[in-house]
Parts: sequence; C-alpha cells; structure tokens
Amino acid sequence: MPNPLVGVPEALAEAELGESAAHLMVDDSIYPLEAVYGASFTFLDRCFVLIDRPEPGRFRVTLSTKKPGADEATLRALVGEFANELLAQAWRRKIVEENRATLEAVTMQAIGGAMGPPTLDELEDFDFSEEPFEDPLGIAMSWEEKYGKKTPPKGDADASAASADAAAEDAAEDATADQDSDAKGGAE
Amino acid sequence: MRELRFPKEVYPGAHVDAAMKVYARFGEFEREESETHWVVRITSGSRAKERRLAGELGNYALGLTIQGRDPLDGSPEDRATPGGAS
Repeated sequence: MPNPLVGVPEALAEAELGESAAHLMVDDSIYPLEAVYGASFTFLDRCFVLIDRPEPGRFRVTLSTKKPGADEATLRALVGEFANELLAQAWRRKIVEENRATLEAVTMQAIGGAMGPPTLDELEDFDFSEEPFEDPLGIAMSWEEKYGKKTPPKGDADASAASADAAAEDAAEDATADQDSDAKGGAE
Repeated sequence: MRELRFPKEVYPGAHVDAAMKVYARFGEFEREESETHWVVRITSGSRAKERRLAGELGNYALGLTIQGRDPLDGSPEDRATPGGAS
C-alpha cells in the first residue's frame, strides 16, 4: 500500500515500504525522456529502476533498493537525490542543445586539422580566383604598406623633377664660368 | 509470479528480449504485448528471488536502452518496432 513521503508533495512521490520502493511522478514537459534516462543511469548501481508511462505527459519512475527492508528515510533520500539528478540532467541537455552548433564547428575544425596539409593535386584544384576579403582596418596590410615611406603623388613628382632639372642646369653654368675664369688667369 | 510492464515508448522490444535471454537461467519468463507495453511475467523459486530477478531484468533492459540511444537525438533505436520482442 503506497504511503506519502514526509516532506515531498503527495502528488509527486509515494513510498511502498513493503516493496522497499518509492514512486516518483515526472512531468515530461519539464523533464524530457533523455533527462529521465540520464538520471536513471546514475542510479542503476544503487537501485532497481523502472520507468513507466501511466498517462501521456507523465513518467512514473520506481526506485527499489537492492536490499529489501528499506525504511522511509532511505526512500525519501533516494527520491530527493533522484529529483536533483533529474534537474541536473535536464539542464545539461539544454546547454548541449544551445551549444550544439559550436560543438560541431570545433569538432569539424579539429578533424580538418588532423587530416594534414593539402596535397599538390588538391592545391592545383583549389580556386584562387576569389576576391580578397574586405579589410577596412588594414589588418592584413604589411608593415611597409602601412607605415613605410610614402611615394609622392604624380603632380608633385613632375614638379620635383622640373626643379631637379633646373638645379642641374645652374650647376653646369657655374662650372663653365669657373673654367673660363681659370683660362683667363692662366693667359695673364 | 511477478509482472513487469515496460512501456514501448521507453523500452525498445529488442532490449527487453535481450535482457530476458541473459536472465533466462534464473527463472521462467512469459512475454506478452499490449498496445502500449511489453509485459513480462516472472516466476522463480521465491518471492525474494522474483523481486531481485525483476529488478535486475529491468535494470539490464534500461541500461541497454540508454547505451543504444543517440545522446543528441534522444530516440532509442527501433523503439517503435512492434516485432522487437520476438
């Protein structure tokens, strides 16, 4: 004959002392079957676990101690531990679902890295014609491109070339004048 | 005699069968099938033996079920196979 467990809502759990068993009702909208499986698995070494489906939307988990003659306190502790484990399993599953894409991406990268460098044939087939990626912050630029000596713009280059030509002409005229004065001095 | 009821939604029939084969030498099993459950009736030497046999059988079937599922999918293989318990 099932009896309510002290400290546990009557609708959620009850004890069957003659069978050394406790029954726990689980709402599957809160705790999916995977969470019930996970929690049950951790109790297989301590209890006999049986999962039933008495009505849609609910599981009924029966935990029986392996040694008969368990008292109410033992059964209450079992139910409490199972409920805690159930919550942990449900939460863990939710985290796995949320991070599934990340897990798959990291795994694929690890597998891709383990495959080693590409062969020459693979490189030959590789399409290098793609446009380079956008780099608005200049991260992909070399140091020389970013901080090196700037070449002057085209207009300035023409001006500086003209001034260089003029300076060369002046120097040539000065040299000619010096040669003339030397020649005159020598004749005297 | 002791009766165990395994819901088909939770236990694949093949795993219940496998558990029955493992423990066949410890007692006698009768298997029936309802619309929603695999039903196993266990007869052994004493009430205590039947209790233990039923518990071990249930744990074994549950262990197989949990090990045989896809952790990211959640569906045990051939769960809905009605001929699983053959």
